[in-house]
Amino acid sequence: MRKTWIVTLETYLRQIKSWSFLFMVLGPFLMIGLTVGISYVSANSASSSKQVAVISTSQPLRQAYLKQQTDNLNTKITTVSAAKAAMKKNHLAGYLQLNETTQQVRADYHGSSRMTSGLKAQTQNFLSQYQQARNYQQAKLTTHQQRLMARTPVLQQHIAKKAGTANLAKTISFWILVTMIYIILITYASIAAQEIASDKGTKIMEIIFSSTTATSYFVGKIGGILLVILTQIVIYLVGGWAAFQIALNNASLKPLITQNQSLIDAVLHNLLNINLVYLFLGVIIYTILAAYSGAVVAKAEDASKAAQPVVMLGMFGFFATFPFQNNLDALLVKVLSYVPFFSSYFMPMRIINGTVNGWEQAISLAILLAAIALFASYIGSQYQRLILQTDNRSFWQHLIHGWRRQK
Amino acid sequence: MLSIQHISKQFGPVKALNDVSFEVPNGQILGLIGQNGAGKSTTFHSILNFIAYDGTISWQGHALSPADFDTIGYLPEERSLMTKLTIEQQIIYLARLKNQSAKVIRPQIDDWLERFAVKGTRKSRINDLSKGNQQKVQLICTLIHHPKLLILDEPFSGLDPVNADLLKQAILRARDDGAAIIFSSHDMENVSALCDQLVMLRKGEMVLHGTLNDVRNQFGKTELYVTTDWSATRLATLPAVNHVDVRQPGQYLLHLTDPAAGPTIFAELTQGHYIEEFSQQPPTLDEIFRLKVGEDHA
Repeated sequence: MRKTWIVTLETYLRQIKSWSFLFMVLGPFLMIGLTVGISYVSANSASSSKQVAVISTSQPLRQAYLKQQTDNLNTKITTVSAAKAAMKKNHLAGYLQLNETTQQVRADYHGSSRMTSGLKAQTQNFLSQYQQARNYQQAKLTTHQQRLMARTPVLQQHIAKKAGTANLAKTISFWILVTMIYIILITYASIAAQEIASDKGTKIMEIIFSSTTATSYFVGKIGGILLVILTQIVIYLVGGWAAFQIALNNASLKPLITQNQSLIDAVLHNLLNINLVYLFLGVIIYTILAAYSGAVVAKAEDASKAAQPVVMLGMFGFFATFPFQNNLDALLVKVLSYVPFFSSYFMPMRIINGTVNGWEQAISLAILLAAIALFASYIGSQYQRLILQTDNRSFWQHLIHGWRRQK
Repeated sequence: MLSIQHISKQFGPVKALNDVSFEVPNGQILGLIGQNGAGKSTTFHSILNFIAYDGTISWQGHALSPADFDTIGYLPEERSLMTKLTIEQQIIYLARLKNQSAKVIRPQIDDWLERFAVKGTRKSRINDLSKGNQQKVQLICTLIHHPKLLILDEPFSGLDPVNADLLKQAILRARDDGAAIIFSSHDMENVSALCDQLVMLRKGEMVLHGTLNDVRNQFGKTELYVTTDWSATRLATLPAVNHVDVRQPGQYLLHLTDPAAGPTIFAELTQGHYIEEFSQQPPTLDEIFRLKVGEDHA
């Protein structure tokens, strides 16, 4: 056990100290940072040219408009000539000229392009309210009459909010889960295969196998790779939590989060349960298969090629879930939710949708665990032979030869 | 004691080992000689359980098991280290796999580097070392945990005479510490200098086995070293002389067909007078090696 841990630690430290790991982990953060940065710079540089000036000979009218809304409005420009000059310099998108006669309120927009829909709606709303107030005033209506005139018809949609949120939460949870399995699998299948294949044919393996058993070494290697995966997941969780905290303190994002709090809670509830175990076990079984693929290659350079069958299997599992998302009662879904390599995709799908009971989950999990144990012990028993020999047997020939030797 | 009894190994149609038996007591060195492909590495791989074989191999009276791994020091034929590690990291990693504590090993590293005259510090990367120095680091990895069973596959290959001497000293020190040592070599001089006993393999068969003297004496004292003013042609007329090699002007090596002819040759050559050199010996290990290989080619 101690030697297994030594191999695990060595594998782990070597992987996380590599530049490729650093780039892989920081890559998404850098991309997000870069996108936010570019958006911020572009928004800042474009902000002045997006602004609209409000000009009116009637100060009460202008003030009433500005009181309603100040976003994207330039409050400093007050004359048409100043507005035109600013437009020429591309500092202004346009200007809104508000006029008031005794009977009517009028707005004219001058710009290089049409008003944005937001500004248009906002202006229309302001004009109708302002005009209505003027109309009431001129008609000399009593308060009661004004109230009657202000009455509008009612249209209200009644949606079962809870069910709607739950369904959306299921869909989001499912996609997060299968995408996570898929991305981890795609990323680490070749890393695992490469890690194992790099040992192939090296004489240092003879020294290592004179120091510890092949099974112990193999388990240690897998452990090291799983620790690397865990490190990446933890970094992303911490990064995600930090991003969430930043979003909570951001004035424009906070309302969005508060508004969708129940959805966020439901998604987290769907993810942070037994599905996480399926995710982790799924990653383990695929990593073991990838490691085995790495062990059967003739040359270390063939490692990425060796990972292909594993990636294909993972892709198959991933894409196979697509047609069944709305047909969870299909027999194939039920069967595949018990088959190792596929159960990590199909059982969480059923759990999220609540179409499976505890016993069925336990049986599926037991099958997956047994498959991992059997698979690891089989490969462990073949590992020394696979690593020390450098013949040209194919993946399947090795597999068949291995089974024959076991019998 | 390492005991190998009747081990055989077949790779497809090729018999790599055929009924090989020998023992290496603790505190003794056995040299394994033979041409390339004779079965030396296969013997080592069998001892280490890297391959399945027929026969019995035992260490200290029991079959070699993972529990014995910590007492083994193994140097494979081709050198291979983890090139991205530093010397210290490499030595400690392999020592920890031998159940040694890093705390115990770390203070010893400088001493071992000095003993093997490694050009580099403990912080030097393996990748930056010359091949010779990498080989010395690998030797340190093999020896630093004071193994009780030392298996060295061609340990002298690639070492210059000075470094070969350093290795010899290390091997002798391990023997004095009570280790059972088995090593293969093509250099008969090293085998003669180190071994308590030797085994020669030829196409998987054991063709020689015994102490150095026993093996040499099996061939009789058929080599006669003389220094004389006789010519090679005249020496060839002496009784039982098969042929004469000129070692230096006036120094000859006479190959005899019958060792018993020694006294007659002595009497005839000296005529009762002083002679600078007259030494009748069995063939050297090098000659025996060539002879045995030659038998196969004949």
